[in-house]
This record gives sequence, C-alpha cells and structure tokens, in this order.
Amino acid sequence: MKQKTDVLQGTLALMVLKTLDVLGPLHGYGIARRIEQISGDLLAVNQGTLYPVLLKLEQEGAIASEWGASENNRRARFYRLTKEGRKQLQAETKDWEQTAAIIGRFFDAKAEDLS
Amino acid sequence: MKSLRRFLNRLYNSAARREQEERLREEIVGHIALQTDENLRAGLSPVEARRQAMLKFGGVEAMKQDYRAERGLLLIENLLGDLRNAGRTIRRMPGLAAVIIVSLAIGIGVNTTVFSWIQMILFEPMPAVSGAASFLLVEPRTESGGYPGASWLEYRDLQTRVPALRDIVASQMVPFNVGEPGRTERTHGQLVSGNYFSALGLRPAIGRFIRPEEAERPGTEPVVVISYDYWQTRFRGAPEAVGQKVRVNERDLIVIGVAPRDFQGTMVPLKFALWAPATMAPALLGGTRDLEDRSSRAFSLIGMLKPGATREEAQAELSTAMAQFARDYPDASAGIGGEILSFWKGPRGPQRLLISGLAILQGVMLLLLLAVCGNTANLMLARGSTRQREMAVRVALGAGRWRIVSLVLSENMLLALLGASLGAAIAVWGTTALRVAPMIGAFPILFQTRVDELTLAFAILLGVACGLIFSAAPALHLVRLDPQEGLRSGSNTPARNRARKVLMGVEVGLAMVVLIAAALFLQSFRSARQTDPRFQPEGVLLAAYDLSGRNPDEASEREFATRLLERLRSLPDVEAAAIATNVPLDLHGIPARSFTVQGRVRTEAGQDRAISTTVTPGYFKMMAIPLLEGNDFVEMRDKSAPAQAIVNEEFVRRYLNGADAIGRRIQTRAGSFAIIGVARNSVYDAFGEPAQPAVYFSYRDLPAIQGEIHLRTHSGNETALTSEARAVLRDLDPILPLYDVRTFSQHIDRNLYLRRIPARMFVVLGPLLLGLAAIGIYAVVSYAVARRTREIGVRLAFGATSGRVVLQIIRENLGAITWGTGIGWVLAFVISVHAITKGVVNLPVFVGVPAILLGVATLACWIPARRASRIDPMAALRHE
Repeated sequence: MKQKTDVLQGTLALMVLKTLDVLGPLHGYGIARRIEQISGDLLAVNQGTLYPVLLKLEQEGAIASEWGASENNRRARFYRLTKEGRKQLQAETKDWEQTAAIIGRFFDAKAEDLS
Repeated sequence: MKSLRRFLNRLYNSAARREQEERLREEIVGHIALQTDENLRAGLSPVEARRQAMLKFGGVEAMKQDYRAERGLLLIENLLGDLRNAGRTIRRMPGLAAVIIVSLAIGIGVNTTVFSWIQMILFEPMPAVSGAASFLLVEPRTESGGYPGASWLEYRDLQTRVPALRDIVASQMVPFNVGEPGRTERTHGQLVSGNYFSALGLRPAIGRFIRPEEAERPGTEPVVVISYDYWQTRFRGAPEAVGQKVRVNERDLIVIGVAPRDFQGTMVPLKFALWAPATMAPALLGGTRDLEDRSSRAFSLIGMLKPGATREEAQAELSTAMAQFARDYPDASAGIGGEILSFWKGPRGPQRLLISGLAILQGVMLLLLLAVCGNTANLMLARGSTRQREMAVRVALGAGRWRIVSLVLSENMLLALLGASLGAAIAVWGTTALRVAPMIGAFPILFQTRVDELTLAFAILLGVACGLIFSAAPALHLVRLDPQEGLRSGSNTPARNRARKVLMGVEVGLAMVVLIAAALFLQSFRSARQTDPRFQPEGVLLAAYDLSGRNPDEASEREFATRLLERLRSLPDVEAAAIATNVPLDLHGIPARSFTVQGRVRTEAGQDRAISTTVTPGYFKMMAIPLLEGNDFVEMRDKSAPAQAIVNEEFVRRYLNGADAIGRRIQTRAGSFAIIGVARNSVYDAFGEPAQPAVYFSYRDLPAIQGEIHLRTHSGNETALTSEARAVLRDLDPILPLYDVRTFSQHIDRNLYLRRIPARMFVVLGPLLLGLAAIGIYAVVSYAVARRTREIGVRLAFGATSGRVVLQIIRENLGAITWGTGIGWVLAFVISVHAITKGVVNLPVFVGVPAILLGVATLACWIPARRASRIDPMAALRHE
C-alpha cells in the first residue's frame, strides 16, 4: 500500500517538474490538466493527490509558489520551477532514462540471453 | 541538505499550521472552480459541472490527511496533541493532580536545595573564581596524618620544585584589628603571595591588585585589597576608597583595589575582608618570623595543574621536594611529607565534614522522592484502571501501542515537569535561605549557594526520572491491555492487583526509612535542647580576645590573662570569671591531645587521646562543674607549684581503670603535668555524645595567645556586661578589640545552626510523607474495593457481617504494608546503627515510628473498607 503511493508520488513529482519545465509557471489545476492530457488515467480520478506532491516539492526547494490571478480571475497559487528544481529534473530524467533502458532491456531479453 | 531543508520547512509549517490549512482550502476551492468552468464550457448543467469537478478531484479529507502528513512533523504534532490531551486530562482531575504536583515539588525542591549546597562545595568552592574546583591543595603532611601548613620559605622553594603545578598561591588567614586605638574592630583577612589574584584569574572591581614585586621584600609596600562588601559598608562603594588609608594592627595600609563582588577568599566558606602582601607579616603581626622561619608553618598553598600534567606527577614532585627539605632542614621539616588534595578535601574548614553530612541528607531526600514516586505511581495506576475503557477504545480504533504509551507518558511527564518547576522555585527559596547564614563561631562564614544551570538541570533531571519511574507501571499495564478484555466491564486481573500491592509495600517501606531517619534527627535535635550539658550555661557571657597582632611571648600572655581576670572579677555584677582556650559545644569542636599517663600500659598500638582545653583557676566554679576529688588550679601568680592538670571522670575510668588519679603524672608534647583534681564529666562537643575523656591544663602553665572570656553575672542579665568587659579590655590594650561577644545560650544555638536546617526540613517532610502514604494506601484500597462491590454484595447477601468484610479487606491489604514496613524497618535499623547513631539504638523511635505508620495505614485501609461494608447488597448486585 505504502510502496505503491511512493512510486506514484515519485512519478508524479517527476511529471510535475517536467510540466513546469516545459510550460513555465502554472497553478495546480493547470498542472493537473496537463498531466491528465498526457498520462490519461493517472490523474483522471484523484486530482487532489497532486497537492501533497506539490507541497513536498516545494519543501524540498525544487519548486516555489506565489499567489497570482487565474484565467477566470480567481486568486490561484502559481508554481514555478527553481534552479534547484531544474537540476533535480535533469538528474532524475537521466536516472529515469537509465532505469527505463535497463528495465526495457530486461523485458526484451529472451530466455537464451540470460542463460 | 535536502532533507534538512525539508525538516526545517516542516518545523515551520507545524508552527504556521492554521495559515497552511487556509492556503490548501483556497487552492482546492480554486481548483474545483476552474474544473467547473471547464465542465460548463463542455456543456454540462451548473450542478452537474460542479459534481463532476468534485468527483474528479477525489476524496478531499483523505488528501488533506496526506497533505498534513507531508506538511508537518507527525511526531512533534502528535506530541503536541498528546500534551494538549494531557493538559485536558490533568484539568479533569485537579485534586489528584495537585497532590501529585505539590508532593513532587516538595521532594524535588528539598533535593535540589541539598544538591545546590553539595554542588557549591564540590564544583564551585570559590565564589567569583571560575574553574575553582580544579585548584589543588598542596599540603605538607606529618607522619601522624596532620596538616600543619607550609612555611613561607618552603612555599618559595615549592614554586620551582613542583613544575607540574603552575602559579602556586600562598595565603595565611589572620585576624586584623582595624581602626584607631580604642575603636578597633576585629576583621579577618589573608596575607597572600604576589601572584594570588592573577593566579585566581580575578579582575578588580576598581583599582588594582597586589603586584608580584609587592610581595618580594618584607615590609616595603603597605598596601591592601579590600572585599566588595567591605568597600560597600565602610566606604559606601565610593571610588575614592582607592588611595585611602586603613589602620590595620596599628599600621597604615593604603587601599589599592577592591576585589570582585562575590569573592570571599581562598578558604571558603570563611569570608575575608582584607588581603595584604604576605611580606607585610612582620609589620602586621608584631615582628613575627613567619617569613624566615621554616618551622613557622602558617601558609596554605593551592595550585592548578599545568596543561598536560597529571596529579600523579605533581604528587611525585612534591614528595621528592619534601623529602629533600627533610634532609636539608631536619629541625623544621623532619618527618614531614606532602600531599596533593582536592580542593573540597581541605583540612581547614568544614567542607569535608559537611560533605559527608550532606551526602547522608541527600540520600535520605532521594529516598523520600522515591517514596513520592511510588505513591504517584500507585495513584496513577489506580486512576489508569478507571481509564481502561478509554484506552481500550483507543486501541480498538487503531492506536498503536506506542501511541498509548506516549499518551500516558506525556501525561505523567507533564505532571512531573510541573512538579519540577515548582520544586525549582522551592529550591530558589531554600538556597536563598541558606545564604543568610549567621556568623558561626569566631569566624564570618558565608555559603554562597544558589540555583544555577547545573542545579536547574538537576531539578529537571529529577523531574524526568520521577516521570519515567511513575509512568512505568501504568504504561506497561496499558501496553499489555487487551482491547476486548478492557471493553468488558468489571474485569480485574490478579496480576495488576499484585503490582499495586507490591508498589504499596515499597512505598510504605521507603516511607518507613525516611520517617525513622527524620525521627532520629529530630530526636537528637530536640534532646540537644533539653539535655543537661552538666554545666550551667545560663547567665554566662562569652567574649574572645586575641593577641596574635602583638606577637607576644609566653610571659606576656600569662601576664595579660592574669590582669584581665583580676579586672573582670572586680566588676560589680560579675559573680565569677574565667578564661579558657575553648568553649564546649563549639561548632568547630575542641581539639584532642595525645598523652601518656603514669600507671597506664597500652595494650594496643597507637596513642591515648583526650579532649584538651586550657583554663584559668576558677573555671570549674564559674561553669558549675564540681570537682569530685582534689582541688582547683593554683592562682595565676603562683610561681612555686609544679605544672598541674585536672582530668575528668571518664579519663580516670578509661585510662586508669578507676584507680586513684591524684598525684599521677601526665606527659604531653608540652611537658609533664601532675594531676591535682578530678572533675565531673560534662558535654564537650555535642549533646548526647558518649562520655569523652578530657584533660584541663592551667593558663598559668600553658598560657595561650587567645582566650574566651567567661563571665557569670549576679543579676542574670549577662548581656549588660558587654560594655563593661569591652572597657576593661580597652584599658589593658587600646588596640585589642573584644570580639565574638555572645551569651552562652546564643553560642549553643549557633552550634545547632547546621543541624537546624535539616531538622526544619524534616519537620515539614515527615508529616507530609505520612500523609502521602495514607493517601496512596487509601487510593489503592478504595479502588480495589470499588472493583469488588459485586462480590462484597454477594457476601453480605449471604449473611456475612460487615465487621467480617472490613476485617478481611484490611487483612488483605495490610499484608503488603506489613512486609514493606518490616523491610524498611530493618533497612533503617542497619543504616542507623552503622552510620548515624553508631551503635546506640533509639528505642522510642524504632518502636514509635512503625506503630504510627501502621496505625495510619490501617486507618487508610479501614475507611474505604468500612464504606464498602455498608453498601446495600441489592444495590451492589445491580452494580454495572
């Protein structure tokens, strides 16, 4: 149970960082929409799970936030990537790519390759 | 780094909790509004648009939980929650909480007060000197174990011969007569080496200190440093004090500086007012040869280890140096070695004596605190059982065992720390009371006890320890709690009953030890007031004179005493007058002398010793001590009679097997004396002491440099004699002050001063402890009885008489109590026989205290038992 959340949180965090990297400052809803568009199911039901992740990233210093006005002229909290966040994103992207490549190779491997 | 920042953020968030909640709420509202707008644009009805948006957002409360867990520190927040909860719980039981907090506060308060005293002696032995505890005493030591002090020349040599110590400092305590002739006042000061103030690391309040070169050549620099108090009282703290002259022992000394505020010298707890260069000794002490004579051992030396040097090195170097002196100067130094001592073990001053007394006191007080803890544990256990259901519900709802423990712990800790804070406040009051010590004996004494960081830490540590101790039982019990069992009503496992009974026994046992100690103490204190000292202190005025400043020889000492006595006897209101070197019941005790007596053959090794005091003829009549055999000493001016001695009954019994004493000879280091009389035993050092052998010598044979004048009045108003006595002394010598004037009763009171402090503590603590024990027993028994209401009801319904029920309940509980009392009694007995009264058993205490304790315990059992036996069987059967 716990582990699953951790994995989800880890992935979500990376997605948040990437989203902010690509699109610049966004409010929570904007981030949720973007992730939804790209990942489909992951946030379709529980958009709320995003907020603990945002808080964690902010506490780690990867993102910063401030109040601003949203499209419909409401007060909204806008998150942006910090310098540290950018560094973290680069490092984690690299890690992720490496992991993905290794896992990919494992899944591609056939029985005779492992003998 | 990342985790640190996250931690700090979380810490901050924990504090700014409300603001954060608000922010999240606003974000959620904003989020849902945006999604609703989006849905509206997609063509949904407003209601449906909002519903879909909320569905999509997911469970708000679950998310908030996650958010909170992420935001703050769960541990700290839980703790704060626990504390809030504890606060609420405590508010719900004000009576119980008050009993616990106040009893803990008193226990911790007295312990902290005693500790502040010990810590002052051990860790801060010299007020205003930082790191004073690391000073070591450099003491020449005779073969028989005495510490005669060091001579000035020895000091100069040791400075270079003991390289392991840096800055050895020499000081000599001297009584000064300060002021113009006829108006002199006795003040105590120290003659010090030139490095005295610099080695102690002191800075003058104003002016400067003695320079090293000012203590090089004798008599060249008539300068003096005064204490802060002296500056304040005599110069009203005026800066012009520096440069003024003070007349000391008929010499003008120039004030060059003022010592820092709390500094009282290097022979704590003595409090000095003046410091002059040691080289002024001949000028100030009537041409004494202290500075040239190696056998004049007037100085105390202290020093500090050099960095990297060890105490063993210093000891080895000192031993080598002293052995060398013994070879080079056999007249003065033969048989004298050296010893490095910790500061608090100083042979001059009461530290050593005090420490052992204080250690016993602290031990007793800690036992008392332990008993308080036992009592608290019992109360909490009894109460914890009534909360069993609450705890069971918590466990059933998923609270972890450790959450339950931390809940109980936080409640108890809160109680303990409240007790500790109140205790610290009591200690502040107690230590301040200690500071206001009067002059004790002829010397000004000041204990600068105070509550500092270390003492506060001690109080808190005690609080935490108490909290842990009395949490242990209830916490352990609750951890093992089975929620199902707990939710069922009226369950009561025997194991817990046993735990409570054991605790009750332990508590009563501890109370027993402390109460016996308290009773013994009070008894000895009270008997001190009532015991017949076997002389008559009523109507006697005491006063002291000291010829030290005059450096007189024997003949002039004898002459002075003779003339003084003649003048005093001629005063109209004086019935009898005498002079003696010592006054009985002095805080400092009367010295004992070793001797050999004709007709006595020692069977074991060692030397015979007896209390030894020198008195003038007429002393025994004045004190109303009858001479059982023989006569009083011959008159002072008699030059024909040989040297005389008078011994007491105990001396005759112990050393002469009761044989005829008159005419035998006593040999001491001072010479040979013929026994001419036997005096009745009287009290010498303390009330209630076993009879001590004593020898009296005559001022005629052994004149002394100082003397205690004893005057008995006709009228009974002894204080009225003060001014006349002063006038007599002034006539004889205008610069000699009469000092330490007091009535004999005041003298005895002073002697009891140090005993009065613990006596007062015990007067308060004894009844308190008894009350606590009663409350503890009462709580346990009434709880046990309440649990058994139904059983009792059944028995009553079947025809048991209420008397039988009461008896049975008392019998069940008294078992544990009797065990505790018995063990405590044996413990107290062993301790008292070995440590306190040394073999003398105080029967009334050892019978009375257990009787009272058992009586109170029985009463505490009887009240709830009686109540239980009166219940209506029908009501009891319907119980729950």
